[in-house]
Amino acid sequence: MFPIRWLWKNMGKKYRVMFAVALVLSAVTSTMLLINPYLTSLLINDVIMAQNADPLIPLLVGMMAVQLARLGMRFVMIVFFEKSSQHVIYNLRIRLFEALQYQESSFFDRNRTGDLMTRLSGDLDWCRHFLSYLCYQIVDCVVMFTSTLIFFFFVNWQLTLALLAVTPLLMIITKVYSRMVHPRFVAMRDRLADMNTAAQENIAGNRVVKAFTREDYERERFHEKNKDYRDANLSINKLWLTFYPFIETLANLMTLITIFLGGFFIMRGELTAGGLSIFTSLAWALANPMRNLGNLVNDIQRFFTSANKIIEIYYGRPLITDRPDAEDHPKMQGHIEFDDVSFSFGPVKVLDHVSFEVKPGQTLAIMGPTGSGKTTIINLLSRFYDVKDGCIRVDGCDVRRWKLQQLRGSIGTATQEVFLFSDTVEGNVAFGDTSLSEEDAHDFARRAAADDFISKMPEGYDTIVGERGVGLSGGQKQRIALARAMAIRPSVLVLDDTTSAVDMETEKYIQEQLRQLPFPCTKIIIAQRISSAKDADQILVLQHGKIAERGTHEELLRNHGYYWETFALQNDLPADGAAPFPGAPDSPASAAEGGAC
Amino acid sequence: MARNKFDVDETLESPFSFSHLKRAFKYIKRHKWKMIGAFVLSGLASVAGLFGPKIMQWVLDDAVPNQDYGLLGRLAVFFVGLTLISIVFTTIRSRIMAHVSQDIIYDIREDLFAHLQKLPFSYYDSRPAGKILVRVINYVNSVADMLSNGIINMVLEIVNILFIVVFMFSTDVTLSWIIIAGLPVFAAIILYLKPRQRRAWQKQSNKNSNYNAYLAESIDGVRVSQLFTRQEENIGIMRRLAEACRQAWMKAIYINNSVWVCSEVLTQIVFTVMYIAGVYWMGGAFVSFGVIMAMGNYVSRFWQPITNLANIYNNFINNIAYLERIFETMDEPVVVDDLPGAVDLPEIRGKVTFRDVTFAYEPGINILEHLNFTAEAGQSIALVGPTGAGKTTVVNLISRFYNLTGGAVIVDDAYDISRVTLHSLRTQMGIMLQDSFIFSGTIMDNIRYGRLDATDQEVMEAAKTVRAHDFIMEMERGYYTEVNERGSRLSQGQKQLIAFARTLLSDPKILILDEATSSIDTKTERLLQEGIQALLKGRTSFIIAHRLSTIKNCDKILYIGNKGILEEGSHDELLAKHGLYYALYTAQAQEQGVPAPALS
Repeated sequence: MFPIRWLWKNMGKKYRVMFAVALVLSAVTSTMLLINPYLTSLLINDVIMAQNADPLIPLLVGMMAVQLARLGMRFVMIVFFEKSSQHVIYNLRIRLFEALQYQESSFFDRNRTGDLMTRLSGDLDWCRHFLSYLCYQIVDCVVMFTSTLIFFFFVNWQLTLALLAVTPLLMIITKVYSRMVHPRFVAMRDRLADMNTAAQENIAGNRVVKAFTREDYERERFHEKNKDYRDANLSINKLWLTFYPFIETLANLMTLITIFLGGFFIMRGELTAGGLSIFTSLAWALANPMRNLGNLVNDIQRFFTSANKIIEIYYGRPLITDRPDAEDHPKMQGHIEFDDVSFSFGPVKVLDHVSFEVKPGQTLAIMGPTGSGKTTIINLLSRFYDVKDGCIRVDGCDVRRWKLQQLRGSIGTATQEVFLFSDTVEGNVAFGDTSLSEEDAHDFARRAAADDFISKMPEGYDTIVGERGVGLSGGQKQRIALARAMAIRPSVLVLDDTTSAVDMETEKYIQEQLRQLPFPCTKIIIAQRISSAKDADQILVLQHGKIAERGTHEELLRNHGYYWETFALQNDLPADGAAPFPGAPDSPASAAEGGAC
Repeated sequence: MARNKFDVDETLESPFSFSHLKRAFKYIKRHKWKMIGAFVLSGLASVAGLFGPKIMQWVLDDAVPNQDYGLLGRLAVFFVGLTLISIVFTTIRSRIMAHVSQDIIYDIREDLFAHLQKLPFSYYDSRPAGKILVRVINYVNSVADMLSNGIINMVLEIVNILFIVVFMFSTDVTLSWIIIAGLPVFAAIILYLKPRQRRAWQKQSNKNSNYNAYLAESIDGVRVSQLFTRQEENIGIMRRLAEACRQAWMKAIYINNSVWVCSEVLTQIVFTVMYIAGVYWMGGAFVSFGVIMAMGNYVSRFWQPITNLANIYNNFINNIAYLERIFETMDEPVVVDDLPGAVDLPEIRGKVTFRDVTFAYEPGINILEHLNFTAEAGQSIALVGPTGAGKTTVVNLISRFYNLTGGAVIVDDAYDISRVTLHSLRTQMGIMLQDSFIFSGTIMDNIRYGRLDATDQEVMEAAKTVRAHDFIMEMERGYYTEVNERGSRLSQGQKQLIAFARTLLSDPKILILDEATSSIDTKTERLLQEGIQALLKGRTSFIIAHRLSTIKNCDKILYIGNKGILEEGSHDELLAKHGLYYALYTAQAQEQGVPAPALS
C-alpha cells in the first residue's frame, strides 16, 4: 500500500481534491448505471404494456437527462483523473530528475543508463495508468458489486447469501494468484530494463559496433534480451490462464445460483417471478466486477512492481550533500591544501597519504602513469567522493564543510572525457553560466583556441553539436570543454588532460592564454606532456597513489626520476640516464627507442 | 546535416494514412491462422454465451410453472456444460493471442534493431540517442495490443454489428433506419476529430520523445552538470519538457474522450427518437409492442459495438503515431551498404591507395579534395596536421564508414572498397577510435569484443601487450571486474588501454590508431609501443598522433591540411624540406625546452 500513499503525497492539495471528487463521481456514475434500466422497465410496463402514451415523453426526457448527467459527470471524472494523475507524473518526473541530478558518482557506477531510463519512462507510465484508470476501475467494480448486493439483500436475503458464499472462494484464489504472479512481474520488469540497456548501449556505442563489425553479434545479443522479455511476459500470461478458468467459473457460478436456486425458491414459493427477474436482469452487475478482478490484479501487481523501482530512486539520497554545519563561502580564494589524503575504491587503494598545498593564483601540474590517481585528486577536490583518511581544505575550510554549490561552482573543470550536450556550440560554452553574453562566449572560445574552427562551421556558434559532441574531432571537443570551464570565471581552473588531442601549436597558444586570464585563479593541470606542465609553480608526480616526485621543472629534471624519464622520452633523449642535461642531444633520431612504427 | 536536439520536435515526413496499418499487416500475416483460430474460438464462446438467456427462459417458462425439478437439474447441467465450453474456448483464445501479440512485438523489435545496425554514423550523429531508444523500447510495446487483440476485437465487433443489423431489419425496417440514421452523424464527428486527434497524438509522442532524449542525455552527462552546478537550470529545462508532455497529453485526452461521449449521447438520442416514432407514428394502435420492445433492445445492442469500435479506433489513432515513428526508422536509408554484387574481400596484404578522393559530410562543403596517396603493405603511415583538418575523416574512409563523394579507395591494387562486402572489409581493419567506448560488463567481455572466440588466455595476452594487465589485476575481481561506460572506475587512460587490447585482439591486417594513446602517460605508451612492435610487422598501420615523438619512425608522414595533403615523406625528408612539418616539429621541440634538431 505504500506506493499508493507515496503517489498521494505527490499529488498536491488542489489535485487531491480533484482526485477525491473524481473518485466520488466514479462511485456515483457507476450507481447511476442502474437507473436507466429501471426507467426502461417502467417504460415497458407503463407505456407499452399499459398502452398509455402519456408517461412516454416524461420518461424519455428523464432517461435523456440521466444519461446526459451521467456522461457529463463521467467526462469530468476522466478529466479530473487525468489532470491529477498528470500532475503526479509531472511532479515525479521533476523530483526523480532532481534526485538523479544530485546523485553521487557511485550511484551511477551501479546503475546503468538503460535501467534508469526504464524507471523514468515505462515505470512512470504504470503509475499514471494506476491513477488515471485502475483507480476508477476498482471503484466501479466495488461500488457496482456492493450496491447490487445490498439491493438484492432487500429483495431476497436467502438468495443473496447464497450468492455471497462464492466470494470468499474468489478472494482466496485472487490472493494466491496475486502472490504467485508478483515475482514474475518483477522478473519481467527486470528483463525490460535489460533489454533497454542492451539497446541503449548499442546506440551509444554504435561506432565501436561498426568498427568491429559486430552488427550480427549485437543482433544476437539483443535477440536474447528481446526473447527473454517476451518469455517473461508469456510466463505471466501462462500463470494467469491457469487461474482464469477458476475465476470465470466462479463468476458463472453466480449466474447459476441466481437462475437455478432462484427457480427452486420460486417453486417452493419463497420467491416471486418478479423478484427473480430483478436478480437475473442485474446478474451482470455482480458477474462483471468478478470477471474484471483478475485483470485488475494483474495491472495492480504490474503497478506495484514499477512503483517500487521508482521509489528506490525517489528516496535514494546521496551521501555527499551539504552538511548541516556547512559554512558559507561566497567567494573562493583558491587556496588548496591536501593534508595526508588517502582514498580507495573498495580494496584498491587509489591515493596513499597525499599532501600538497597550492596558494591562490599558483599553478599546480600533476603527472604520472595511467591509473596513478591523478583524476581522483580532482574528483576529491570537487567532492565527487569523500576522502577516507586525511583532509582536503580549500581556503582553510574542509571541503566537506563547503556548500557543494559554492565549492563546485567556483571550480571550473575541463574534464578528460569531454561530454557535450546536444545544443548549440554557444549553449555548450555557456553551460555553466547561462547568463554569459555572446561576446564573452566568443572571447572564451577564442582563449581556448576554439573561435577559429567554430567560426568556420556552417552556422558558427549556432551549430548544434551532437550528443557527446559527435561530429567534432577530439581536439575540437576539448577546446570547447576548456572554453566552458573558463566561462564560469572560476577561482580554481582544473584542466584534466584537456589538451591531449590538441596539436602542439594550439596548445602553446592556449597556455599563453591561460597566463593572462581576465580573472584571478588557481590552476591545476593534469597532463601527459611535459610542455603542459613545465611552467607550473609546482609539479607533482604521482605513482601508485603516492607522490613520488615534487618540485619545479628544473628541480625535477635534476632528479632523474619519472619526470626526467618522460621528458627524455618525449624529446628523444636516451633514457638510460647517460645524456648530459641541459645540453641538447646531437642526433635525436638515432637515440630514439622503439616508436609507434 | 541538420542535427536534432532534445527540445526540437522531429518532423514527420510521411503523410498519415492507413497504409501504416497495411504495412503492419506484414507482421500480422505470419500469425494469420492463429488469429483466425482465435477469432473462431471467440465466436463459438459468445454463441455459447448466447444460450444463457435462453436457458433462463426455459427455467421460468417450463421448469418453474410445472414444478419440474428434473428439468431444472438437466438445465443446470446444460448450463454448466456450456459455461465450461465457453471458458475453455476463451482460455485457449487468450493463450493464442498472448503469443501472437508477444510475437508481433518481438518481430517488430528485431526488425527495427536489425535496421538500426545498418544505419550509418550520420544517423546516430544527427539525433539524441534517447529518441532512438524510445522507439525501440516504448513505442514497440505500445503498438502490439492494437495489432493483435485490437484487430480481432474490431472484426468481432463488426460481425456483431452485421448480425444485429440483420435481426433489426427483419423486425422492423422503418425503426431500423432511425437507429442507423445516427451513424452518419457519428461518422461526421469522427471525420472531424480524426485530423485533430492524430495531430494531438503526434504532438504527444514528440513531446515524450523530447523528454526521453533529455533524460538520457542528462544521465550520461550528469558529471558535467554536477561539475558546473547546473542542476537547477537542468531541472528548469526538465520542468518545461515535462509540462509540454502534460499539456500534449491532456489535449489528446480531451479529444479522445469526446469520441465515446458523442457515441453514447447519440445512442440515447436514437433511443428517444425511436420510442417516440414507435409510439406516435406506428398508428398508436400498439399492435406491435413486442416490436418496440425488441427494437429498444437493439438500440443498445447496435450502438454498444459502435462505441466499442470507436474506442478501438481511438486506440488505433493513438498508436499509429507510434507506428509511424517505427516505420520511419525502418525506412531510414542505409547509406553505407553492400552494393549489389559486392564480393567478399579475401585476406589482404594491406596496401591502401587513395585515388583522387573527394569527400563531404554535407553536399557542397568538401572536407577533402582530390586526395592521392599510397600506403604499401606493411608500411606505417602517420597523419599529422592541425585539429579539424580531416585526419580522422581520412582514416574513417578506409573502413568505409562514409561513402566517398568522388574518387576511390583501393586495397591491394585490386579491390575498390565500395565494391566489397562491408563485413569482409571491416573485419580486416582494427580501428582504435578517439572515443573508447566501454560496454557494461566485465573487462574480459570488453576486450573479447574484438574477437569473440578468443580464449581467456588470449585476452590476457592482448592486455599484457598493451600494458593493461597490471592495473586490471589490481582491481578487486581482476578481469571479471564489472565496468560500465559512465562509471568512474576506470580512468580515461585505462579505458584507452582496454580499447587498445580489444583492437589488437581482433588481429587486423590494417591497424588504425586515432589518438589511441592520447590519455596514456608517455612511459606506458612507450612500453606499449615496444609491446606491439612485433605485432605490427606485416600489418599496414595508420597513426594519428599529436606527440610527434611517437610517429617519427613511421615510413611515411602525411601532413593533412587545406583539404588535402600538404606534405608527404619520411620524417627526415620532411625535416629537410623545412616546410610545415619542420615548423611543427621545431615548435614542439622548443616547447619542450629542447633546441631544434640540426638536421638538414
